[in-house]
Amino acid sequence: MPVELLTAAGARAFRLTGDPDAGSGTGDRYLGLGVDPAARSVLTRLLAGSYGHLDRVVVSHDCEASLRLFYALRELRRVEPGTALPEAYLVDLLHLPHRTTARYNRRRIGEFAARLEAWTGRPLDLPRAVAAHDERRRLLAAAAELRRAVPARLTGRQFLAVLNAPLPVDEHVALLRRLLDEADRLQEHPGRRVFLSGSDHDTPHVYEAVESEGYVIVGEDHSFGDLSVTDPIGTGGPGASGLGTGSLGAGLDVLAEHYHRSGPTAHRATAGERAAHAAAAVKRCRAELFVAYSRAGDEAPAWDFPAQRAALDVPAVLLERQEYGRADLTALKDLTCAV
Amino acid sequence: MRSVKSLATAAEAGRHQREWFADLRARVAAGEPFALLNADVPHEIFRTMDIPYAVSQWWASLVTAKQRSGHYLGLVRQRGYPDYSEQYNSVTLGSAFDPEPEAGPWGGLPRPDIIVGDASGDVTRKIFDIWGQEPGVTFYPLESGAENEVPANWWELMPHRWEEAVGPARLDLLTAELENLVRFLETTTGRRFSESRFREVMALVNEQEEWNRKTRDLIARTRPAPLSVVDSIPSVMLPQWHRGTEWARDLARRFYEEVRDRVDAGHAACPGERARLMWIGRGLWYDMGFYQRFQEEYGAVFVWSMYLAIAADGYVRYGDDPMRALAARFAAFSDQLYTPPWSSEWYVKEARLHGIDGVVHLVSDDPRGSYFTARALESAGFPVIEIHADNVDTRTFDDDITGRVGRWLEDVVLPRRASSGSPSA
Repeated sequence: MPVELLTAAGARAFRLTGDPDAGSGTGDRYLGLGVDPAARSVLTRLLAGSYGHLDRVVVSHDCEASLRLFYALRELRRVEPGTALPEAYLVDLLHLPHRTTARYNRRRIGEFAARLEAWTGRPLDLPRAVAAHDERRRLLAAAAELRRAVPARLTGRQFLAVLNAPLPVDEHVALLRRLLDEADRLQEHPGRRVFLSGSDHDTPHVYEAVESEGYVIVGEDHSFGDLSVTDPIGTGGPGASGLGTGSLGAGLDVLAEHYHRSGPTAHRATAGERAAHAAAAVKRCRAELFVAYSRAGDEAPAWDFPAQRAALDVPAVLLERQEYGRADLTALKDLTCAV
Repeated sequence: MRSVKSLATAAEAGRHQREWFADLRARVAAGEPFALLNADVPHEIFRTMDIPYAVSQWWASLVTAKQRSGHYLGLVRQRGYPDYSEQYNSVTLGSAFDPEPEAGPWGGLPRPDIIVGDASGDVTRKIFDIWGQEPGVTFYPLESGAENEVPANWWELMPHRWEEAVGPARLDLLTAELENLVRFLETTTGRRFSESRFREVMALVNEQEEWNRKTRDLIARTRPAPLSVVDSIPSVMLPQWHRGTEWARDLARRFYEEVRDRVDAGHAACPGERARLMWIGRGLWYDMGFYQRFQEEYGAVFVWSMYLAIAADGYVRYGDDPMRALAARFAAFSDQLYTPPWSSEWYVKEARLHGIDGVVHLVSDDPRGSYFTARALESAGFPVIEIHADNVDTRTFDDDITGRVGRWLEDVVLPRRASSGSPSA
């Protein structure tokens, strides 16, 4: 999701998360049990008004569950207007690594920008927004190094909270600076170092379950974790100089290219791409164990695992068909005993 | 109970399929390239270039009808992949892992040189990309875009006003991808793409689907139903996989004529018809007899499946630019079947057209928007029963499903039909 555009429009945006401890009956009903339960929980919470007042819901095409969530929101507003859901908008960014897709994405980014200007009635201030998000990226990259340190200075659970704080970007930046200023006083976490692969974790439940057994999650490859800590957009990247011209079109070009390159998530990358990424990331994190986690209803990670295991030089285990917010760690414990 | 087919065109289509597959195997053995294509991608390009191809879902249906899907899912599992995920595609992937491929149905599926599929969902691209890692196999993925706002009445717009229905962004994307695909095939196979031949293929497809439309309309208005889906599925789908040929166009015409003759003769698929049923979902390939199981005891006949109906409404595209028209056929193809409001409004339209008394809805774990389908039909007054199973994985089919449908017919459908006093209009 190109959040820079939301910031540029003056919108206060936060990422919707589910709640594994609450029921998801209404979401289950509308989306069906074949959809990732995290999305079913988000829909349930939207219908219950759990997020407070929302002017719009903006959905990206980052996975099948998100697309299905968008379709459900669109259709519910059409056929059950009494549900009082906010208007949903799809930012249909696609992911094949080809020029045809890049051109499509640029068109969709432009449409989204135009829609935001229509919603707010004012032009976008994109350079300033990109600068603010880039500063956050730089600080988050530094925080990620704290977790990758040996021993880790942040747990996986803590890093998840640091990364996904539901704050406006300026407030988030201020808190990240405080964290980094106080880094010397952070506790050391010497547990077995685990790389967590697979499904998105929009809540800390699974991190807490794993780390309560003495492990420390020092890296991951999902969109709520390390994969969202990308290089800055405004410096160094292709076409970044265009941002300085003040041309909205040039800025949108850069954004489109950045988000086209994002990933590699389980839902949009091939098994080979995921395996290559896992091998490099495990080394970078100095992980000792590799845990692939695949939620029931989110099966893409299970398809990645054989190639990932073959590419790794650390023990690996697959936890498949897991319940949302839960982790059956039997296989991980068996693996730990074996090694 | 095995299904009993009675149409000459269904039998001819089955015979032709065996002969075609034997010929395909011979051509591939002689060194010709072979493509494996997913159902919802433009086969017309391969037809134009005379590149032999088979359809992934057709192969999965054949394997399943031979009660061999468990074997291929087991091969997938042996490689460490999940055997519970998108089985319709992974059954076909299992063919790639078979140590004795020639032991497969009809001598086995040849190793493909190229695979084309769309990047829909989270798993489809992965499955075919894994196959693409096998020696000598190239996977060519196509994007699967989505649109914010769409007009609901796609079936009225598609033949001529597809630009309005699909939207220019998706059409530009797929048109560009297809132009690139042609260049890729020209380069890798040495075959040429003839624009005039392409126009012929596109015209033949439109003719074929127009015949299917006439057949669909005839079945919809005829009481009692002249045939059930057990006959209509092979008569429409086997030619569908050969669309763009004169054989397929002519078989579609003969299918219409055979149905017309039955109507003229007053032939009934189910004498004493008491209820007309609609089957929503993919074909139950491991138990086609299911569709005839309710005829004798309940007088309930499945008159509708998506296969003839989507042939009637989902393929016809006219226009001066054949590549863009081809893109229009597939840029939103699955939306027609699975994405509301397109899918839900279309099923209601079809249920009304066919005078449906009850809807049996197969819901699989693949995300398919089933709630909105059932909701739309029930809101329009059609009783719906959902059965949860995968159409190629027998492990998911509950033994009690037949009993549940029978009780639903007795308790809901037949009493409603009786109280209405006359056949559905």
